[in-house]
Amino acid sequence: MARKVAIVGVGMQKFEFCKVETIEEMVFDVARNALEDARLSKDDIDAVVTGSAVDAFCGIVNSDKVATDGAGGFLKPTMRNSTSGSSAVSTPILGYNHVASGMYDIVMVICYEKMSENASAQAVFNTVYDEAYVRPIGLNVPIQCGLEARAYLHRYGLTERQMAKVSVKNRGNAISNPYAQLPMKLTVDDVMASPYLSWPVKLLDTSPVTDGARAVILASEDVARELTDSPVWIRGTGRGADSVWFMGRANPDLGRLDYAYLAARQAYEMAGIKDPAVEIDYAEVYDPFTFKEMQHCEALGLCPEGGAGRMIDEGVSWKDGALPVNASGGLQGEGNPIGAGMSRLNWCYLQIQGKAGDCQVSKDVNTAVCNAWGGMYQYNAVMVIGRD
Amino acid sequence: MSKKKPEMTIGGTIQVDYEWSVGNAGERFFTEIKDHKRIMGARCRTCGRVMVPPRIFCEECFVDAIEWVEVEPKGTLVTFGDCYFSTDGKRLDEPWILGIVRLNGADGGLIHFIKEAKAEDLKIGMPMEIVFSDERKGHILDISHFRPVKESE
Repeated sequence: MARKVAIVGVGMQKFEFCKVETIEEMVFDVARNALEDARLSKDDIDAVVTGSAVDAFCGIVNSDKVATDGAGGFLKPTMRNSTSGSSAVSTPILGYNHVASGMYDIVMVICYEKMSENASAQAVFNTVYDEAYVRPIGLNVPIQCGLEARAYLHRYGLTERQMAKVSVKNRGNAISNPYAQLPMKLTVDDVMASPYLSWPVKLLDTSPVTDGARAVILASEDVARELTDSPVWIRGTGRGADSVWFMGRANPDLGRLDYAYLAARQAYEMAGIKDPAVEIDYAEVYDPFTFKEMQHCEALGLCPEGGAGRMIDEGVSWKDGALPVNASGGLQGEGNPIGAGMSRLNWCYLQIQGKAGDCQVSKDVNTAVCNAWGGMYQYNAVMVIGRD
Repeated sequence: MSKKKPEMTIGGTIQVDYEWSVGNAGERFFTEIKDHKRIMGARCRTCGRVMVPPRIFCEECFVDAIEWVEVEPKGTLVTFGDCYFSTDGKRLDEPWILGIVRLNGADGGLIHFIKEAKAEDLKIGMPMEIVFSDERKGHILDISHFRPVKESE
């Protein structure tokens, strides 16, 4: 039987382009912040789990080696995780498994990415595609997203203006986030007037290139109850993968993320959540592109399938809405250091604790969900956290 | 995004050349295209699904029992994307287009260039066909591009 696991502290730092700090220095910063938040010291940590998506961004092969010291891993068991972008949530899931299994009582989870030091982040992305069937054709991130977004809008009859509202919401929310890279006060027309990368995806539908790290400290139930009177528990985790051969899949429709529905179902079953649209109070949803927030809101059951356009139109997911999504600004407003998208989980924790500062939503938050996406339209990882 | 950079940096390059095997399934697939302009799929003997790109196993049934079947060089447009940037990041006046076409007789398809059409002429679900290159070397570019099936045909 799995043990109960609580989040007992988080480490934040500003997300920026071209940080002076090295990976080691970034990681040390968030690790120390998390220890301070949890009122623990390095020697209390039993094991360290690190995660990042693509070493070619930072140009340091096996980059976990330079994260180890800063993460507090000196002479401790350490392990690195990578499932592309979904590392942002699969890494804390790996940390959860370390504690739930009974192997360790207190685990430091660190996610980091340094994306600014290469000559072209797009050139790095171009190396992720299959070498025989895809890369010679010149697939790139703009078209990759165009292919998926077009299929999605087509399948459900959604619009570019609905996508644009997600950008307005998230970049506007980021104005209240002291760690945010790209806060902006925008109108739907501003987004609609930004240049197309690949229809329907425009420049202001995307997220920036970012350097940054995040930390989360996980603890077993006994330890958590010693540290706090109001623990925030990890209530459910889920993951799903689809075939890398996106052009040859059993479900050829890129508009429907079967693997994300699967990950959400696992997490909700584990958490005993039957109607997420009612039972989830708050969500931080992976939004590297506006339409990805919409797809993920559907897959997470925060609105009906195909209902993400209405959700944004009716204000449900706005900061003062019935089910706020990405009040932190999300990846679009806070920044998108791929693996360090674990920030989605950190903000769920801060909202439940009532410590989200100017990003705090006005409603009570007892239960929150976050997710992350990665691979070749391929992976999703979901985590539900909440109070007793 | 041209903010301040760190004052002290060290420059460097990581450049490694590769020769990637196309694999057992790929060798058959690309040889048939080169020699016969034929698109071959791999049919799973358990579930009957015809995989394109072909593979030596079906990920669902998880058996390596496949048989080779020819599929049509025609199919339907699953989705497509236009782009105003070249893959090396240059801004373009005219977009280029990629599309995924599910081939008739297969439960999968290929991603390739779409030419002889503008984005506004294209619709998800429309019939498309493969145009082969005149010079073929056993490579995905032995296919020149997809184009819409001409209405007279």
